[in-house]
Amino acid sequence: SRRLCILKGIYPHEPKHKKKVNKGSTAPRTFYLLKDIKFLLHEPIVNKFREYKVFVRKLRKAYGKGEWSTVDRLKDNKPSYKLDHIVKERYPTFIDALRDLDDALSMCFLFSTFPRSGKCHVQTIQLCRRLAVEFLNYVIASRSLRKVFLSIKGIYYQAEVLGQPVTWITPYAFAHDHPTDVDYRVMATFTEFYTTLLGFVNFRLYQSLNLLYPPKIDGQADIELKPVEGQEYAMDSESYLEKLSALSASLARAVAPAHEEEAELDEFPVEGETAEQMDAKKKEQEALEKHKKLFEGLRFFLNREVPREPLAFIIRCFGGQVSWDKSLCIGATYDVNDPSITHQIVDRPRVEQQVVGRYYLQPQWVFDSVNAKLCLPVADYFPGVLLPPHLSPFVTEQEGDYIPPEKLKLLAMQRGENPDEESEEEEDEEDDNDKEEEEEEDESEKEEEMKLKKMEEQKTQSNKMLPVKVTAGKLRLEDKQRLEQEQQSEEKRLAIMMMKKREKYLYKKIMFGKKRKVREANKLAAKRKAHDTAVKEEKKKSKKARRA
Amino acid sequence: EKPLHADLILQPDSKVPAPKDILAHQVPNGRKEKRRQLFWEKQAEKGVLPRAERRLQARLQRGGGVPPDRAPEKGRSDPERSFYDIWGADNPLERPLVGQDSWFLQQTKKQRVKRPARLQVKPSQVPAVEVIAAGGSYNPTFEDHQALLLRAHEVEVKKVRAEEKVERQLRIPAGTQLPTAETVLQEQCEGLLEESGDEEDEEAAAQPGDAAKPAPRREKKTEQQRRREKEARALESQQRREKAARCRRQEIFRLRWLRRQVTRWEAELLRRRQARLAKRRLKDAMPRRLGRLRYEDPYLEVQLSDELPDSLRTLKPEGSVLHDRFKSLQKRNLIEPRERAKFKRRYRLKYVEKRAFREVT
Repeated sequence: SRRLCILKGIYPHEPKHKKKVNKGSTAPRTFYLLKDIKFLLHEPIVNKFREYKVFVRKLRKAYGKGEWSTVDRLKDNKPSYKLDHIVKERYPTFIDALRDLDDALSMCFLFSTFPRSGKCHVQTIQLCRRLAVEFLNYVIASRSLRKVFLSIKGIYYQAEVLGQPVTWITPYAFAHDHPTDVDYRVMATFTEFYTTLLGFVNFRLYQSLNLLYPPKIDGQADIELKPVEGQEYAMDSESYLEKLSALSASLARAVAPAHEEEAELDEFPVEGETAEQMDAKKKEQEALEKHKKLFEGLRFFLNREVPREPLAFIIRCFGGQVSWDKSLCIGATYDVNDPSITHQIVDRPRVEQQVVGRYYLQPQWVFDSVNAKLCLPVADYFPGVLLPPHLSPFVTEQEGDYIPPEKLKLLAMQRGENPDEESEEEEDEEDDNDKEEEEEEDESEKEEEMKLKKMEEQKTQSNKMLPVKVTAGKLRLEDKQRLEQEQQSEEKRLAIMMMKKREKYLYKKIMFGKKRKVREANKLAAKRKAHDTAVKEEKKKSKKARRA
Repeated sequence: EKPLHADLILQPDSKVPAPKDILAHQVPNGRKEKRRQLFWEKQAEKGVLPRAERRLQARLQRGGGVPPDRAPEKGRSDPERSFYDIWGADNPLERPLVGQDSWFLQQTKKQRVKRPARLQVKPSQVPAVEVIAAGGSYNPTFEDHQALLLRAHEVEVKKVRAEEKVERQLRIPAGTQLPTAETVLQEQCEGLLEESGDEEDEEAAAQPGDAAKPAPRREKKTEQQRRREKEARALESQQRREKAARCRRQEIFRLRWLRRQVTRWEAELLRRRQARLAKRRLKDAMPRRLGRLRYEDPYLEVQLSDELPDSLRTLKPEGSVLHDRFKSLQKRNLIEPRERAKFKRRYRLKYVEKRAFREVT
């Protein structure tokens, strides 16, 4: 009955007056609404459950008596049920289903990584794997991936499916022991329902993209050429799924697309929007289009030690072509020695033979480029280089919060500035300074000096009786600004004085909270400085050691 | 050869012959069966076979193949199952119901019962997949990692403080003298041993409180007394009524004070209502108490600074997604927190030492 509750989406209820419901005792128990249970009983699956119970009893008896023919006969007629109508009942429209897709996807991806021992039905695991692969292929075909985040727990993806942002987590492919405090039956029940839901959603999504469902790989010539090869990797029955899961082939379309010219969409001014908002929307659209074609034209090759599936998925999602070593997996389109490879992803400390014209990069480059929405400069990601930190794209900073300098650089890059050159110049200058003085002049000090110089110049100028207009104008501007500021601060002070005690108390509390944030940001900045100086000193020491 | 003497002794010796066993010759319905057999032989000469034989021949002629094995019905977990457009207009779920009277369908239970709207609401506003904080990245920035470490540190500090609190409460305060056997004995003997001064006081206290004076005898009330009492009562009640009317009349002058009182009471009610609403909102944000166990937050997945990997290849994943999903389901009030069922023994285990050991110990 708990299984039925989970399948139907009926959740336990927390009563407001526990004593009343529990007939006087306050022992904590699980409660369900009576109305919900009565609703449950209308479900046709209840009969199937009863049949299953009877079936289990008969089977056990036959086993016990040793009647093997009976056992076979019973197993052939095993009762089964389908959950389609429950899906339709719980999600009357497609959009409702999309909203609940997060959880379903995470569960399916999780179950597809389980080992095929007897703990959960092997069929469930296979079905989960098939659905996961289909969904990945859909995302590739529709280019809907937006964010990736590598965490210590797993990989978080966010895609935008028909306007709905869908976030899910995929565990890493390395085997890990299963925790014992998890109830597998409950999880299996959830997964049953979610697999059904995901199957229907997949069908609808494929339909919306005009692709065949169940998915077929485009280009029959490939299939004819490679049956021999296929046998090395997997049995015939499974080779199709394996090829699909390689994520390297494009899918066949249901209706052959006629070659349409892309007509420019007419711009209908939406009421209530100003021209600025429309421009902003246009810009967003353009940025999105650019983002979708991030890796177009680039050919990647994945080395053996690099996690193949996530990288292949991401690269293909943004238009790139990817291949890997033949011994890894089926579906490798080109070899290591292909001259047209532009980027090779390696994860070793040193790469022996480097082919000219190829970039050898660590895998973090791919993820960071996707999050930054542009191809980052490759110099930071060469093998053996200390990588810049992998920032989370799911964190949105508000004003007043601390923004790490790496993120500032990233934002600057996105805006189109070239902080690389500036940073290089700064480093050269600093090196020079180091060589000369061994003291670092902070930028702020430099600026202060400049300011002082300006002030002196102004004074001398005013003494020399140069045209007064300029200086007077400046003074007035400053006065105005300062006057305004002073006025505002005075008004503020007056208002604070006039507040009642209660309001003042609240105001002080809020300000304290804000100041605390600022203080913490300053603390973090100071820590960062200390860290940077420490790193720099280490660098210097290592340099000196190398020289000596 | 001559047979053995033992065998000769065992031969039947009597002159009376053994009785004939009639049952061995008896066949039930023997005559009838014989006649039937003869009948069918005659029919066989003619070419007519009994029904059973005829049917067998016909079946053999038909082909006599083994009936095809019905493929086992595959259910919801079949890896090769097909899907269809369930939200489209024409789908296999609703095809049999198209075009029929809704009343008919409802009465014959062919149409499913409508799902109540209250079940469409999700039990919690927490998002399904909560992304880990920025410090959980496999290559985090220094600040984010420190922030995450700080949070984990706070959790640990709390635990340590709870333990210390318990220890503090159980500690014997310094400087007290633990009771020894002598002091305990002395305490128990307090007041038991007889001393001279106590006895006199005890006697003095017993004397007062003798029986109280007998209640005075009542005489019958006279008419006058009754009348007077009645008048007094009537006067009292009239006075009370007048006083009440006067008070009510005078209350007009207390209108302002009364209004103030009412507004104060209303403000108090409003305050209480808001407090209740705030409490309710807080409760909604937290995971509900749905069963015997309380919801416990999962451990923060954090890798110490020296465990941080140099590259993706050397990353050792921390925490399991399965555990995280399970806790997330509990947090969103979809299931109640569960723990593994403990193994309870029905009977107490009995330990028996081997004889050899018993001699030793």
